[in-house]
Amino acid sequence: MKIKLFIAALFWSALALGQIRGVVQGADSVQTKPLKNVKITLLGAGTTVYSNEDGTFEILLGKQQPDTLLFVAKGYRSDRLVVTRSDRFLALNVVLVSGQLVQEIVVSKQKDAHGISKLKTLHVEELTSAEFRKAACCNLSESFETNATVDVSMSDAISGAKKIQLLGLDAVYTQLQFENIPFLRGLESAFGMSVIPGTWLESIQITKGTGSVVNGYESMAGLVNFEFKKPKEMPRLGLNLYQNRFGRTELNLQGGQQLSERWHMGLFASGAAVYGNFDDNNDGFRDQALSNTFNLLQRFSYQGPRMEAQLGVQAYADQKIGGQSSYTKASPVGYGMQLASEHLSVFSKTGFFGKKPAQSLGVIAQFKYQNMSGLYGLRNFSGREKRGYLNLIYDDIIYTADHKIKAGASFQALSLSQWAGQPFGAEVVGADRTEWVPGLFAEYAYAGNRLSAVVGARYDQHNLAGGQFSPRAHFKYALTPQLDARLTAGRAWRLPNFVVDNLSLLASSKTWLAPQALQPEVSWNVGASLVQGFTFKKRKGSLSLDAYYTRFSQQLVADRDSLSGAVVFKNLIDNSLATVLQAEFSYAILRGLDLRLAYKFQDVRALFNGEFQTQVLLPRQRIFTNLGYQTRNKRWSYDLTYSRYSAVRLPQGGQGSPWGLLNAQVTRNWKQLELYAGGENLLNVMQYHPIIGAQDPFGEAFDATELWSPIMGWNVYFGLRYTIK
Amino acid sequence: MKTILISFLLLFGTPLFAQKTMVLQIQTSAQCGDCKERIETALNQAKGVVYAELNLETKVVDVKFKPAKTNKEALQMVLVNIGYQADDKKANPDALKALPLCCQPGGH
Repeated sequence: MKIKLFIAALFWSALALGQIRGVVQGADSVQTKPLKNVKITLLGAGTTVYSNEDGTFEILLGKQQPDTLLFVAKGYRSDRLVVTRSDRFLALNVVLVSGQLVQEIVVSKQKDAHGISKLKTLHVEELTSAEFRKAACCNLSESFETNATVDVSMSDAISGAKKIQLLGLDAVYTQLQFENIPFLRGLESAFGMSVIPGTWLESIQITKGTGSVVNGYESMAGLVNFEFKKPKEMPRLGLNLYQNRFGRTELNLQGGQQLSERWHMGLFASGAAVYGNFDDNNDGFRDQALSNTFNLLQRFSYQGPRMEAQLGVQAYADQKIGGQSSYTKASPVGYGMQLASEHLSVFSKTGFFGKKPAQSLGVIAQFKYQNMSGLYGLRNFSGREKRGYLNLIYDDIIYTADHKIKAGASFQALSLSQWAGQPFGAEVVGADRTEWVPGLFAEYAYAGNRLSAVVGARYDQHNLAGGQFSPRAHFKYALTPQLDARLTAGRAWRLPNFVVDNLSLLASSKTWLAPQALQPEVSWNVGASLVQGFTFKKRKGSLSLDAYYTRFSQQLVADRDSLSGAVVFKNLIDNSLATVLQAEFSYAILRGLDLRLAYKFQDVRALFNGEFQTQVLLPRQRIFTNLGYQTRNKRWSYDLTYSRYSAVRLPQGGQGSPWGLLNAQVTRNWKQLELYAGGENLLNVMQYHPIIGAQDPFGEAFDATELWSPIMGWNVYFGLRYTIK
Repeated sequence: MKTILISFLLLFGTPLFAQKTMVLQIQTSAQCGDCKERIETALNQAKGVVYAELNLETKVVDVKFKPAKTNKEALQMVLVNIGYQADDKKANPDALKALPLCCQPGGH
């Protein structure tokens, strides 16, 4: 009853006071971007607020109405806007026009480490660098460990490769992007996530549901975009060191520099090594594969009066060696795992601005080369991939900024050759293929008083999958100034590659039975969400509920139930789906003490062994808790994360036990230096026999793929971040 | 029991705490969020400071500090040395030049 009253009071106070919110952007001849620290004064009421880092602001209306909002920012012409109570549902989008030359606007850390954007029509969860600091680690897959939406797990007990899942589906069903450029696709999808350091990231956007058609056709469960640090806003020098008790060392360096008035350069370098030989469960196998990784990224940005550009080149090399403790490169005796992977990519993004302020043409181009080879025991695998990508996007408005339109064309070319061996004998499963995918897309976005909508469609002509039409629609409706409802529905598809998509299943003696034909995977995703923001005792909080349903009309599944000695790859028609419900609550329970609670239920089913049953090794439920505290002088921050997973179903029957993961970290901040120390898996939860048949790795029973919880026990790590601005 | 505790606190606690820390208000020349971050970081990292919080509207920074370890002049000098005015003390001109545009005089 008390809670009901409290919620009712919240609604009432928000309605009665009339809160106005929106975003301020600055437009000059080069671009339009969010402006921070714009002075926003409500003239009648006499109140003043400043816009946040991302340009957003909130201000309470006074009694006198209509009132006038005054926007003042250095370097821009001031603007006035008359507002009334009816504007409280509106997400105001105010664009200030540059008054003179382009001024330097320094964008630094965002205020909130984690949150769902109020202004976006799509359900987008944003993680910023403040969030990555909560778990001082290391690579992309690990940067999701303080997050309930994305699940991180290990794909097999030999390589230690980590994989991520969104809406209960593997990462291949989520479109991954590096600043709107396709990322970690093809051969990279198996091991690539662990190569990119988290300290290079500026932010991550997680979109649930099919997302925008502008970005491509592959976002079946969702879309994850990684924004790296930008040359213009990077520190002059950033150094990061990490060391853990299991013999893993990382060194990450980054630095930005201004080359001329219009050119900036950013350089990123990273080296990581795992050299600790551990076999705590005494099964004769290394608990973690040894590895050496080098990664370089150099990027340039150009900002001119009529165009801007981002150019870059990235290269990395990744080597792993795992398996039995006796197995080394010099004496490859016994069961071993090896991986050698090299990657080179170049990308460019250019934007040309039309005469009208909102008119622009964007060109995104990328070329990627990947070479990979390795083995699991007697099973070799190798692959070579060349990929080209081009996307042209035209942006404009129809009469007013309330009606926006995007249209364009994309083209992809792929040449992929790959090979993988069976456990006994030389039979080959592999495929060479060449893909040509021209596509066209158009999207209309409407931003109204309470309602906003994004409706779009794309058509792609794939040389192997045929013509594919992907319509998508997203709606947001502000039920109250603090309560947003969203709906999404859309079609997405991809051409699977059963070898790379399931590479870790090679870590077993099971024969692979290849699919009969290469068919595209096609799904419809519908979803709904409610996000309630509130302020209680002057501290902000939010409550969100969402549900997503993905139905595959075609899916290629790995059936591990039909035969005990084989993995059967099957094209299922209308026989697989995923339903995911998530509830999340966040609130600052005391000054500086933030609490986040989440519950997730996922029901992922397909036809395995003739029965419509749950996906193997996937927990149906997860509980997530995060408690973060920062002292008032910001010298110390503390973080505690606990995740509880329910039991998983094992192939061929049986259940894996439920488990919980507890992580904690302390950070001490100085002017330029941060020191951190933390622990992972502090409850020391381990799957004691992660490898079935470890005594006889070349026997028929050997299987290192029935893995669901950690292999290694408690871990302690420490490190530093040093920054010169 | 409660009464005893409270009276103990009143007798010993309050004077003890009062001597240990002090809250000072310094009028600064801060203009934007960047200034706020710079001022708070510099003061929070200074010797003897418990915490520092700047109000951008009034440009006044609240500093809680330990008088045994620092004093008003030292805290004002922290601001002066990073390019800000502190009450009647003028900012160090070299440090002021190095500040970003929005913190320069007339920046807002």
